[in-house]
Amino acid sequence: MAKWGMVIDLEKCAGCQACTTACQMENTRQPGENWQDVLYYTEGEQPSPQLKWFPRPCMHCEEPSCAAVCPTKATYKDQDGFVLIDWNRCIGCKFCMVACPYGVRFYTDEKPAVEPNVKGVFPSNEGRQWNPPWKMPDATEDPTRGVGVQPPGVVSKCTFCTHRVSKAPAGTIDLDPDNPATRDFTPACVVTCAPGARTFGDLSNPNSRVSKLLPGRWRRCRRAVQPRHPQGLRSRSR
Amino acid sequence: MNARNQTRGAVDGVLAVAAIGLAISLAVAFTHLISQGHASFNTASSGVTWGLPVVTYVFFALTSTGLTLVASLALVFGLKAFYPIAKRCIWLSIASIVAGFASLALELGHPFRMIWAIPLNFQYQSPLLWMGVFYATFLVLGLLKFRRIHGGDWDSQGSRTLGIAALTAEVFAALTLGSAFGMMAMRPFWFGPEVPVNFLLSGATTGAAFAVLITYIAHGGLERMPQKVRSVMTGAMPKVLATAVALYFLMTLYRMVNGLWSNADGLQVWDVIVRSPLYWLEMAALVVAFLLMVGPDTRARGPMQVGAALLTLVAAFIGRYEFVIGGQLVPLFKGAWVPGLIDYVPSLAEWMLTIMALSITFLVYAMGERMLDLSAAPGPDTQDAAPDARIDAPLPRAA
Repeated sequence: MAKWGMVIDLEKCAGCQACTTACQMENTRQPGENWQDVLYYTEGEQPSPQLKWFPRPCMHCEEPSCAAVCPTKATYKDQDGFVLIDWNRCIGCKFCMVACPYGVRFYTDEKPAVEPNVKGVFPSNEGRQWNPPWKMPDATEDPTRGVGVQPPGVVSKCTFCTHRVSKAPAGTIDLDPDNPATRDFTPACVVTCAPGARTFGDLSNPNSRVSKLLPGRWRRCRRAVQPRHPQGLRSRSR
Repeated sequence: MNARNQTRGAVDGVLAVAAIGLAISLAVAFTHLISQGHASFNTASSGVTWGLPVVTYVFFALTSTGLTLVASLALVFGLKAFYPIAKRCIWLSIASIVAGFASLALELGHPFRMIWAIPLNFQYQSPLLWMGVFYATFLVLGLLKFRRIHGGDWDSQGSRTLGIAALTAEVFAALTLGSAFGMMAMRPFWFGPEVPVNFLLSGATTGAAFAVLITYIAHGGLERMPQKVRSVMTGAMPKVLATAVALYFLMTLYRMVNGLWSNADGLQVWDVIVRSPLYWLEMAALVVAFLLMVGPDTRARGPMQVGAALLTLVAAFIGRYEFVIGGQLVPLFKGAWVPGLIDYVPSLAEWMLTIMALSITFLVYAMGERMLDLSAAPGPDTQDAAPDARIDAPLPRAA
């Protein structure tokens, strides 16, 4: 089994939010409910403040607290390392949202973050919260993995684009957007990242690019500094 | 054989007010929920996730535990002075947990799915699973116990075993509910091994306060109470309430002291809480309630007891609100452009669910008062033995 993971080079990330937009289009998200987001920070004070940013998808923790607290096992970690939600089992108790240390889960039966509410323009009678024409094909949707347009009354989260990644040929260790053979299986945020800050591959294979990108210092310290052992890892170029 | 006491008082009035309150709150809440869904709540993924309906659930669930604790003073621990209020407390604890569940059900995205999804998937690591197991167990055992004592079986081995099992389920339910918050290491405002005990203590406090309040509602005043009831209401019960209030006050006070001292991210909420008049209303209400119940002259007077009970309930509800909401006011892992503290004010629909839960509690209680003889106590043999078993002799009543 693969153990899919993502490395984000913070020195390459330009904070352009293209990943956020790609995720919105791929997974039919709206402002305020972005599975992928870039957080901005202001460091320092006048006269020399600095703008910093931090890309933040779900970390797909190795020991996800969201899965442990879910009373119905709707949130689970699958055999390939994805932390997913089965929308058919989710009862909308929101305990996973409370327990997620990164705040990357979304219950969208709430007031829209931006008015007017575009969801009202494309209503759905098929168990979805809305039905925009740009949503993914029906055949691609998979409520048991939280893939597709979010239904009412459930929580959603980043899937690492499992609907793309899971179709990669067996034995693939790198999902490289520059390689035509693997591009279609690569998560949308990785494909669209113009600076190439994101790398996606099999963390269980030492020959994969993600494994080689991880510096030893990160391997040593991640258990100490990251409470839930994220698989969505970050590194800096050396 | 039961010694049945005729109850008077404001039960009919409570029944009418609760029915009206339930009808109005349900009408308003459902109007909002049907037209807007949970968008009618002021909760948000980027803000407060668990809002006032969860506060309401926690309050009534813990109150249920507290009422069972009060009933168990007689039914489990053998303090026979408490027999005259035990049946009423058991019934109200059932009413209270039903009210809490009702509030929670309307807060869930899929309440009916919960019925099969939780038992069939059985995530044993989740405190929510065990909390549901314990409260559901209590609901069954509590009803069975009530049925036993309603049939006059107060002290048989089976009845006593049922009482012990029901109490055990309730205590572990409250502790597990506390753990659901206390396990959250990423939220220092909630985190801590003392939180489950805090919840148990909070439940005992509101349970004692509700026990006092409904006894007065049932009888309409101290002077109208039968001798056995008056004995416990002027003797041990005010001391139980005073002890619970004092412990709860100290725990609340030192949570605040520790919170203000610490610099862990998330505990800056305490700076906001202590600037809120609600917090000082809570503390003042607890102090006044304690003073009323600890003073020899005031604790034996009916209006003072009712006042202390009401103050305690208001304070405890504020406390539950501060706890549940306070743990969510600092956004987790957000950029600097997100407000440092989330601004949350419950919506009308959320308040309606609180009123609904309160109405359900009193409606179910009042119906039980009218139909189930909640003043019943064990027969003459037990009652005769009661004075020797009391933990305190009745105090002289104030003129």
